Amino acid sequence: MPVDSFKYLPRSIAAYYQTLRVERVDSIPWTPLSKPLNQCRFALVTTAGIYDKAREPPFDAGREKREPMWGDPTYRRIRRDLAQGQIGASHLHINNRDILADVNIVLPVNRFAELEEEGVIGSLAAVNYSLMGYQPNTSEWRARYAPEVAGLLKDEALDAVLLTPA
Amino acid sequence: MLAQTFEEAGLSTVMVTMMPFWAEKMGTPRTLGVEVPFGHTLGMPGDREMQKMIIRAALSLLEQAQQPGAMSEVEVEWPQPSDQARKDWQPLEASPIIKMMREQAQARAEGRRQET
Repeated sequence: MPVDSFKYLPRSIAAYYQTLRVERVDSIPWTPLSKPLNQCRFALVTTAGIYDKAREPPFDAGREKREPMWGDPTYRRIRRDLAQGQIGASHLHINNRDILADVNIVLPVNRFAELEEEGVIGSLAAVNYSLMGYQPNTSEWRARYAPEVAGLLKDEALDAVLLTPA
Repeated sequence: MLAQTFEEAGLSTVMVTMMPFWAEKMGTPRTLGVEVPFGHTLGMPGDREMQKMIIRAALSLLEQAQQPGAMSEVEVEWPQPSDQARKDWQPLEASPIIKMMREQAQARAEGRRQET
């Protein structure tokens, strides 16, 4: 059975989504995987809107409430050894309860630490990244924040990224 | 979109998503589709086996994909009835945009009532 992208959406939203037009790039950028998985240095990037309560502020939900057509385009750092209790979640479009119970469902730091231990992957980065996926306008992501995160990942000499929209 | 920027910067990416429909339209470099509720990209909280199964499928796609736009899927048996899952992932309070759309719809309905 092929994956039904609309299975869990309320019918009105599914109908609306299906009519939206998407800007498609002419050619999809591509970096071939340069080495075997067990030598690759991985980072994790989610758009679940999570953050480290001890170190960084939540995403700006207050402004989104005042301006529903705006979504906070900034990013947060999530250390791989962050305790579950330090995770905060500020996404207004999903119920965050299950993420607050187990961050691995959107940012699998513990699962990747296990894969590193098992020798399946080379390593997991010390710092991983979280953005907030509700972006009615992605121009700030494009112009500033996505390249900034890419630069930070390159600075750490990482090879591969697992992306997990929520 | 993030995936494209990362690839341009020289990083190989694989995206796991419950909406492969969008990923395909947008031109995502490598996409693993999985039929799970929103906010649960890699499965149920506490279910290490489900999380690992999805992650392994993503790693295998990353390893095997030969060309941009590569897509594959992994089958997941969601442990809740779909009606319940459809309710459970949604925020307790409607998001600002949904509230705004509801208010606009209400105002339009109100306007129609006054015309008649």
